[in-house]
Amino acid sequence: MTEFWPWVPVLSAAFLFLVCWRLLAYLRYFQQEGYDHRRFLRWVNVRSLTDPAFWLAIACAFLFLLDTLLAVVLFTVGAVVLALVQPDPRHSGKIPLRLTWRARRVLVTAIVFALAAYVLLIRVFIDGEVRAPLVAAAAMFALLPLALLLANAVLAPYESGVQRGYYCEAVARLNRVSPFVIGITGSYGKSSSKAMLAHLLQFHAPTLAASGSINTVMGVTRHLREDLVPGHRFLVAEMGAYAVGSITRLCALTPPAAGLITAVGDMHLERFGSTEAIMRAKSELAQAIPPGGILVVNADSPNALRIAKESTHCRVLLYGEQSTEALATRLEDVHFTKQGSRFVLRTPERTYECFTPLLGRPIVLNLAGAFTLAIAVGADPDVTVAAFRTLKPVSNRLETIEDAGVTWIRDAYNSNQVGFRAALEVAADLPATRRFLVTPGVIELGHEQYDVNKALSREAAAVCDHTVVVAEANRVAFVEGHREAGREDRLIVVSNRTDAFKWLHEHLHEGDIVILENDLPDLYEQIAGVFWPTRQKRAAA
Amino acid sequence: MSGTGTPAVRPTIAVMFGGRSLEHDVSVVSGIQILHAIDPQRFAPMPIYIDQMLRWWVGDDLWHSEAFKGGGPDRSRLVEVALSPGFGISQLVPVGVAASLRTGAAVGSGLASAGGGAIPVDCFVPVLHGTFGEDGCVQGALELGGCAYVGCGVGASAIGMNKRATKIMAAHYGVPVVPWLSCERSILERGHGWLTEYPERVSQSFGWPVIVKPCNLGSSAGVTVATDAGELIAGVLKVFEYDVEAIIEPFIKNRLEINVAVAGLDEPVASVTEMPVTSQATPLTFAEKYKRQGRKSIGSSEGMAGALRVLDPDQLTAEMRAAAQRYATTVFAALGCEGISRIDFLIDADKNELYFNEINTLPGSLAFYLWSAAPHHWTITDLLARLIDRAQRLRAMKRGLQRKPPPELKLLG
Repeated sequence: MTEFWPWVPVLSAAFLFLVCWRLLAYLRYFQQEGYDHRRFLRWVNVRSLTDPAFWLAIACAFLFLLDTLLAVVLFTVGAVVLALVQPDPRHSGKIPLRLTWRARRVLVTAIVFALAAYVLLIRVFIDGEVRAPLVAAAAMFALLPLALLLANAVLAPYESGVQRGYYCEAVARLNRVSPFVIGITGSYGKSSSKAMLAHLLQFHAPTLAASGSINTVMGVTRHLREDLVPGHRFLVAEMGAYAVGSITRLCALTPPAAGLITAVGDMHLERFGSTEAIMRAKSELAQAIPPGGILVVNADSPNALRIAKESTHCRVLLYGEQSTEALATRLEDVHFTKQGSRFVLRTPERTYECFTPLLGRPIVLNLAGAFTLAIAVGADPDVTVAAFRTLKPVSNRLETIEDAGVTWIRDAYNSNQVGFRAALEVAADLPATRRFLVTPGVIELGHEQYDVNKALSREAAAVCDHTVVVAEANRVAFVEGHREAGREDRLIVVSNRTDAFKWLHEHLHEGDIVILENDLPDLYEQIAGVFWPTRQKRAAA
Repeated sequence: MSGTGTPAVRPTIAVMFGGRSLEHDVSVVSGIQILHAIDPQRFAPMPIYIDQMLRWWVGDDLWHSEAFKGGGPDRSRLVEVALSPGFGISQLVPVGVAASLRTGAAVGSGLASAGGGAIPVDCFVPVLHGTFGEDGCVQGALELGGCAYVGCGVGASAIGMNKRATKIMAAHYGVPVVPWLSCERSILERGHGWLTEYPERVSQSFGWPVIVKPCNLGSSAGVTVATDAGELIAGVLKVFEYDVEAIIEPFIKNRLEINVAVAGLDEPVASVTEMPVTSQATPLTFAEKYKRQGRKSIGSSEGMAGALRVLDPDQLTAEMRAAAQRYATTVFAALGCEGISRIDFLIDADKNELYFNEINTLPGSLAFYLWSAAPHHWTITDLLARLIDRAQRLRAMKRGLQRKPPPELKLLG
């Protein structure tokens, strides 16, 4: 007992120091997952057990039996060192932590909880074991992510109050400006459709669309409060469906006068459970269109077409390439060159010869949809077609970059098989000495994930000279796909994007094409970068 | 400022950067460079960051460009300030009560402070490029405050930002300019007749190819070359994303670009000439760009610094060089510029003719690299000290002007 008390402040100080850093690291991912408990827990999994801090505490707890002083010194020094080598999540990783007021509130509350739990644990062990602070520390490091969840749960009533205030402010702003709202949804292509439609409409009247893929109520709320100003005549709003009901909630915030449905497929099947549920979610947009409003629908997508046929209350305009329906706009004659895509749009009245620097068949089809909606709301068709030439690829969506003789087809934000195949199609059309593909495959496909990725791997093997598969999610499927194609020697397996780029830089020559396909967010990468610096960082330092 | 040794109280010099402009990031890099170049023995430099919403911030974090990575500096570590209302006060006041309590801690040591957390500023150095910073807007705010500031005044900034106005001004003083057509954005409200009208006007006036650029932007954003009607219309529409007016000029095929800086000291002084490497039209190969310099991530331009320009290029005859320097000072004086401007020229290599192209009244890094070479051998630190002195003298001169109504205009007794 005499030895016990002097060490507690020292150990606790080291513990607290490291806990603050670790919570900050976890907070980055909690924020990235939108403070969603289930999604965050799925990311955490058993990750906290791989934290060296946990093992340090356990090791020191055993060392205590041999030499008290050594254990104390080792833990204190170890904890400080671990805290110091941990990358600062505010400045590292692909999506750094933004210390918003909410993040601060969660962090401070979590630190208080962690400390309280730690003190409580010591009190529980205090009579029996001298190593109580170390055992308590080990337990706390293992359970640390839960402190964030608890803090968030406790703060929830307060946060929802804050959010309600913002929401009312956004609604008031929207009512004052009263733009013509165009809602866009679809399983894929909605971000690029939104960007294209907003781009085309700006030459008709002042138009606002959020950059990136802001498509949640809180995201749109913030966007309206910050960017909507009197004079905006159109508001193009992306409406993402994370579950049945989420589009209805978005439509309540920004009631659409017109809508665009790009495609209804199997994206995010894991979240919805069935294609039927996805369809129900997407048709919420059609239901929100007022009687006589405009609904533009991709007739090539059978599920989307079904929604169109059910929407008898509004003026439905169809577009497509394959469909046999009577179309408002038909896409024909698509060709790809290094400069862009050449195609024809046929309306019942006229045909338009078109060119755009954008690439990829699905993107050109989305453009046909954006065109249909733009002219339906009064834009000049000739000016609109002329504006096709001024479109810039949405960053990382089938964007080609000519860089010192190497053509990069950057499609990192695509995450579905349609886009994946479109990128392969474009790469196959363009002249190149060799073609490379870097991808982790596609995810969130439920039980079909393995088969889809195996098929993609086989198709990639037919087009590309080398495929670099990143991370573990789809590694096995890619290996199998390449084996079936008889090209297993052309598959390179790496654990993260840093290693993928390292490999590329060693092998690239002028005249090569590289496809960067579906860059997964940090969450799916290995733990390097959470607890200790990645190799790249270390080299830079 | 003629005394020796460190003055008891160093004048506070506020370097302003950021801004609501396409060149926000360029301005941050330039601004921090200038901030560190101010002589700390003579002056107390401080940063003012102007964000995209045109809010002004001060704080120690702003000294380092790392603070700007990942979506801008952490506002909670900064204090929002505004220029104190009233003519001749020249101080920054914190916005809000909470901010005034934190001013002292946030801006750190060495700065004189008045009551209520106010920071008196002796001279401002705007290093803002493009809209709201280089076009006279910020200069107008500083004029209203009766502040001393380095660089062009409202009029010169506003004219310098407008390519059409500068061309007319330069031509008036006998400086050769490339002919042009102007196309205003309001044509979008008049149907699609212009889609055929403008290509015809180009064919009639100077033929193809043409270069299309925004009338009011300093950067290369929105600049395209068009060889046919389709590309011309696309180019004009691209300009309309950023600007209310497009300028169409014949594209000189065999062209060289040269730039000359002019410093507004007691007499405008022209620098040496520079030729940007981009005008020599030999893109670097993959190997040259990346392998030789170690691995840089795609899109990073850091590896290119230092290889961007040639000073006093051999291709240039002595007469051409002298003409460029003469024209540069002529344009500088014609607009009534102050501080450092960079004047860009085009050379038609086939006809061996020199044309004034545009003026940058707040060039990147204040074009300091043009002064460090012979014959001037001025460091940016010396040059800034001279410009700050001049700005303070100009302010004193302007403050001395009569603004009180003379008896015959006193109507209210």
